[in-house]
Amino acid sequence: MQMTVDLNRVGAKGAIAEAAEGKWGMSIDRDLCTGCQACVAACAMENNISFVGEEDAGYGRTQHWIRIERFWEGAYPNVKIAGGYQPMMCQQCGHAPCEPVCPVFATPHSDAEQLNLQVYNRCIGTRYCANNCPYQARSFNWRDYHTMPERGNMVNGKLVFPLHNQFNPDVTVRRRGVMEKCTFCIQRIHKAQDKAKSEGREVMDGEFAPACAQACPADAITFGRIDHKDSLVSQRSNEGRGVKHLEDLNTLPRVTYLKEG
Amino acid sequence: MAVLSKYLPGAKKAREDHFEKDDPRQYLMHDPIPRGQMNEMVMESMHATSWKFWMVFGILSVLVAVCFFYAWGYMIAEGLWVAGVMRPAYWGIFLVNTVFWIGISHAGTFISAILRVFKAEFRRPFTRAAELMTTFGLIQAGASIFMHLGRVWLSYWMFPLPNQRELWPNFHSPLMWDLLAITTYVLGSTMYLYLPLIPDLAMARDRSTGWRKTFYRILALGFRGTEGEWRHLHTAMNFFAFAIIPVMFSVHTIVSWDFAMAMRPGWSSSVFGPYFVLGALHSGMGAVAIVLFIMRYTMKHMDYFIRKEHFDALGKLMMMVSFTYAYFIFNDYIIQWYGGNLATDNLLHWLEEGPMSWMFYQMILFNIVIPFAVLWIPKVRQTPWLLAVVGLLINIGMYWERYIIIPVMLTINNMPFTWKLYEPRIEIYLTIGTFALFLLFYMAASRLIPLIPVWEVQEGQMAHTMRKIGKANVSTISDFE
Amino acid sequence: MSEKITRRNFLKLTTAGAATAAIMTGCGPASRYVTREPYVKMPEYTYNGLSTYYATTCRECAAGCGIIVRTMQGRAIKVEGNPQNPINLGKTCARGQATLHGLYNPDRVENPVRQGRSAPQLSTAQVSWDEAIQTVSDALSKTNASEVAFLMGTAPDHLFDLVSDLADAIGAPAPLRFSALSMFEAQATLSKAAEDLLGQAGLPFFDISNADVVVSFGANFLETWLSPVAYTRGYAKMRRSRPRTRGYMVHFETQMSQTAAKADEWIPLLPGTEGLVALALGKLVAQLKGISAPRAFASVNVQQVVETSGVSMEQLTRVAELIAESHAPLAIPGGQALGQSNGLAAAEAILALNALADNFGQPGGVLLSPLAPNSGAHRRPANAQEMSDLVAKMKSGKIKVLFIHGVNPLFELPQSFGFAEALHATPTVISFATFPDETALASDYIFPDHHGLESWGYQRSQTGVMQSVLSGSQPVVAPNYNTRATADVFIEAARLAGGKFAQALPFADEVEFIQSKIENLIARTDGSFIAPEINAFSAYFQQHGGWWASSAESDSLSAANALGKSLNVSSVAASIGENEFFFLPFVSPTLGEAGANKPWLQELPDPTTTVMWNTWVAMNPETARELGIENDDVVRIVSEAGSVEAPVYKYPAIHPNAVAMPFGQGHTAYGRFAAGRGANPTDVLAPSFNEAGDLAFAGMKVRIEKTGKQQPLSRLESRIGVYGEGMYEEK
Repeated sequence: MQMTVDLNRVGAKGAIAEAAEGKWGMSIDRDLCTGCQACVAACAMENNISFVGEEDAGYGRTQHWIRIERFWEGAYPNVKIAGGYQPMMCQQCGHAPCEPVCPVFATPHSDAEQLNLQVYNRCIGTRYCANNCPYQARSFNWRDYHTMPERGNMVNGKLVFPLHNQFNPDVTVRRRGVMEKCTFCIQRIHKAQDKAKSEGREVMDGEFAPACAQACPADAITFGRIDHKDSLVSQRSNEGRGVKHLEDLNTLPRVTYLKEG
Repeated sequence: MAVLSKYLPGAKKAREDHFEKDDPRQYLMHDPIPRGQMNEMVMESMHATSWKFWMVFGILSVLVAVCFFYAWGYMIAEGLWVAGVMRPAYWGIFLVNTVFWIGISHAGTFISAILRVFKAEFRRPFTRAAELMTTFGLIQAGASIFMHLGRVWLSYWMFPLPNQRELWPNFHSPLMWDLLAITTYVLGSTMYLYLPLIPDLAMARDRSTGWRKTFYRILALGFRGTEGEWRHLHTAMNFFAFAIIPVMFSVHTIVSWDFAMAMRPGWSSSVFGPYFVLGALHSGMGAVAIVLFIMRYTMKHMDYFIRKEHFDALGKLMMMVSFTYAYFIFNDYIIQWYGGNLATDNLLHWLEEGPMSWMFYQMILFNIVIPFAVLWIPKVRQTPWLLAVVGLLINIGMYWERYIIIPVMLTINNMPFTWKLYEPRIEIYLTIGTFALFLLFYMAASRLIPLIPVWEVQEGQMAHTMRKIGKANVSTISDFE
Repeated sequence: MSEKITRRNFLKLTTAGAATAAIMTGCGPASRYVTREPYVKMPEYTYNGLSTYYATTCRECAAGCGIIVRTMQGRAIKVEGNPQNPINLGKTCARGQATLHGLYNPDRVENPVRQGRSAPQLSTAQVSWDEAIQTVSDALSKTNASEVAFLMGTAPDHLFDLVSDLADAIGAPAPLRFSALSMFEAQATLSKAAEDLLGQAGLPFFDISNADVVVSFGANFLETWLSPVAYTRGYAKMRRSRPRTRGYMVHFETQMSQTAAKADEWIPLLPGTEGLVALALGKLVAQLKGISAPRAFASVNVQQVVETSGVSMEQLTRVAELIAESHAPLAIPGGQALGQSNGLAAAEAILALNALADNFGQPGGVLLSPLAPNSGAHRRPANAQEMSDLVAKMKSGKIKVLFIHGVNPLFELPQSFGFAEALHATPTVISFATFPDETALASDYIFPDHHGLESWGYQRSQTGVMQSVLSGSQPVVAPNYNTRATADVFIEAARLAGGKFAQALPFADEVEFIQSKIENLIARTDGSFIAPEINAFSAYFQQHGGWWASSAESDSLSAANALGKSLNVSSVAASIGENEFFFLPFVSPTLGEAGANKPWLQELPDPTTTVMWNTWVAMNPETARELGIENDDVVRIVSEAGSVEAPVYKYPAIHPNAVAMPFGQGHTAYGRFAAGRGANPTDVLAPSFNEAGDLAFAGMKVRIEKTGKQQPLSRLESRIGVYGEGMYEEK
């Protein structure tokens, strides 16, 4: 006999979030993920994420919005990577632990997209949200990495940063002292929604993808509406291999991981 | 007029020679001196300033300037990267300091308010010293919170100030509760410090000249000591003494909720509220012992006011608190361990075997084992420097406790891929800075306000008399109120 | 346009669709801190707030993936895969994504300079382009043609074609092209084996997507191998595209690479025994199938293979069973198997295994990569032997002028080749480097080429697709600096030199040259588009990002040739002495050969060790324990050819008798993000070659010395959480 627990009954807030319209979600196939870091690079390029340099990177200050985790299983020679590579990013929880703890409402829940927003210019840097994130998916701007003098060139007595030319104007460049995290490329969601609206239609499944899913050479990442049962991401999430991370915490994550094998 | 009678604390133990036999004058309350003379003694203790005082004062000023103001300014200018905070220890020593200083600040209120409410007579000479710890400790705690912020210049956004977009702060956030609780506590404890100070300020006003006279005149609010004024003052003090106790309990409970409300192994624990309150008292008592020791040996005439009996009583309190603390720590860890949750299990392994395990064991040693072992002994309790050492060890232990709860426990979370050990960097300087600032405030206060509540001591001395009941010589107290 | 984008300007600039996003993600104080440089020549066709997308070709490696670059206000913002390009079908790898950090790298050669071999500084002695062209022209016309050498990179192809034409016409030796990737992939060996067994030189296509058992012999096709994006797609399809069939993958490699980590079984073996294992597998498969072992496999002694390789009999039998029972097994020879002194035989043995499985020319098997348009002869990269010959020629003074473009031999060639001395012996060295790399700084002149995203060009597909593909490049932004296309420089210089030089390159400019090369495609009707004449064709070529045959092509292949050949793989994995280890350099999957100057690539954790910004020596923890070496202890790896120092990473998935080290770091120049960082494993490689002329780099014997120094490696992973350090460690 199989017992099923209706998560919607678990908590009022969770129920509201689960029943909401417009939920964007993602499925990640760990069988396909090759750990190649293309998603990490694409994310960094799309979202103006700063690199932090060797020392800070080793000290746990990387700004990656998505990281690829791997654990070992067994001992030589029967050692293998346990369960395959595991990309980890903000799970856009329906019942997010990061949201209630911010004293200034810098981490609200978006009703329209059902995402956990991070309002950079409201953030005062208490870092409570990051502490309370069970997925450790948030990164903090410990300094103005983008404008570190050693990254610029002196041109006519003025410091210029050629790398800034690459910045995506759709995404804010965060200054130090604020928290940031994966946004599911909300700028792309909005662009697609605006385009669809101007053409008088709904956004189609697969019409756009966040930078990580777009780059992924193995097509391990699928993005779409998880409140639409026929979307590709819903189908993949429900095909039987899907698991959610730390589901017992009742965070109602929007990312489904597909097991190996 | 009610008369309470009791045996003197040392009477039965007279044979053990720690108290001189049958001499009631060894107790402050039975060793009255004329009021004018006592007033002069207290005034002199404020004025008698040696070169040593100024040397220490100078060193502390430099430390404050460099380690507090310069270091903080440097951190604001450079960003938090100069500190050691990172993923996963997003919180570091700054919040350790906050919790620690709030803990220190507890003892002041506890000693003063609870003992006042329960009419514990030994409190009389050192309520002021303890209350000052509350106020000055809270200043350090508040400063540490602001140091911790990523964008401190926007910290006013935590207050519900009117703004264009009608944004409110988030009252769901434990940090918001924290802010409100600490603000209430700062205001309440400052009032509570100030009220009993008024008669002494008035006394000082009448015995000063020059700028001091102006200073005291303004602060004394024209107190003349009429019966009506005394009645109002007593009513107000009584009111605040009762009111500040629940505030005190709520503050540290709410501080503990910053952790207990979070979804983290090790933190999410229902015992954290009382555990933190007790922990706060534990460190606060230790701090009072240190402060009394320093006062007694550095300030003039203080050996008259602060005596063995006070250290003895404080030692007993410390022992009791340490027992209760042991109970709570047992209660916290046994449940975490028995639960067997994987993340918690990892955390306990980390505490027991990890590189910071020395801190964990030292915490147990200093907070439980040593107070347990030595505070039974009257000789230890009554030897000021020994009690101060025990107090210091308890404070180190309690600092470790907060350090373990914040950065060490933050190392372990649900995502083993991110576990990293926190190393303090500029935090060390800023911690030195807050300690120096606390001491500096205290030293300045010792020159400006009477550290001994003279009127309370005098009131007590008037109320105490020795009476003969049968063959026993009994100390009796008449109740003025 | 103002130099700082104020909040007001920022809002003005981001109109329409972008405005919503800008408001949502915040446009407050933070944006004040962004400084954008003035873009002096704003293209007229850009609209404020609207992006323009350009199709072009990625030049981070030679695979030729099509990319679409999003530009805004004349700046390249984001690289996205070109969904039409058959090589990558809209996907990119990390190196492709980070190519913008090359374009906007703060360390580029901004002007043509008279470098005067003043390494390690980039010279400030600027010259005008007229002088530069005069210099090139003089170097071409005033030198005996046989004493001119051209050394090119593996990308772009159009420049190589132009230089080849030029060299042909003036009678200079054919230009060489080289890259460390081709060296570490032992491409020449694979090409030679393919020629021997399949009848066509070049890189065969391994149809991973349709195979159901993939046996890879050190082929790291998920990392950098040949065409990684295409093969990663093949891998994904192999795993998940067919109902109820999940392809199975076995990987033989001495250390667990990223690709091996994705295999169902990783079987460690001693380097140099891959060919033997393939032969043994062939023999066992033949037995299992009940056929007599073909000649290729007849002579191998399986028991002996078990002894020398370290692969157990059970493992061999199980893999043989897998192959025998499979409908479409596929064996892939990788660089580490081929870069051995017995590499050619190993490559043939592994290909013969495919022949035994009868998958030549079959779906899920080995196919001939269709020749890209205008391939002519396959212009494969030079093997190490040829590079060594060039070095010898330079050293003996037979080369008077050396033109270098797109390759950095001072860094990529092993030090023991003596390229530094060879450069010294060459009177004139002209570099066309975009970045101030080691070789450029040791040149007489640097006449910087545009960055790949500022350039015209094309790149041929080599493998990875069953279509003939010519990926086209076009500038997506105007050149940022005073650089000039090297093709234009040669065309101008040739015109200036007159005579046969001018006749060799009778083009107005680079674009005309490219048009002349693609003109013949107009006649083809099987392509992705049809155009009546060259201008329209060129426009389509740019718009689509290239030209490709619209359907797959495959030739039938016979297995007879492969099976009939007697194969004899000599054993190289002889015993190793006390404190001797097999040394395995491999190309860093994130950095590739030239990624070290792109900071975001540096910040990407290595997929296997998660180390960032540095080089490590992967060593089995058991070995480390025996040697008394801890994590982060710097060790010196000493070979007959040289030594290199790097910190140790105790890597649980490497043969105890081997140490591995990534290639990609250890630059002494190449910009602030690369210089002085990490170590270069080629420093210990000795110039020994296999029969196909490739460097026998894998499994060289080295000694390990402790230095007593420590250097903490920056890892993304937690040593506590992943290795239990301080928690569950044995004390």
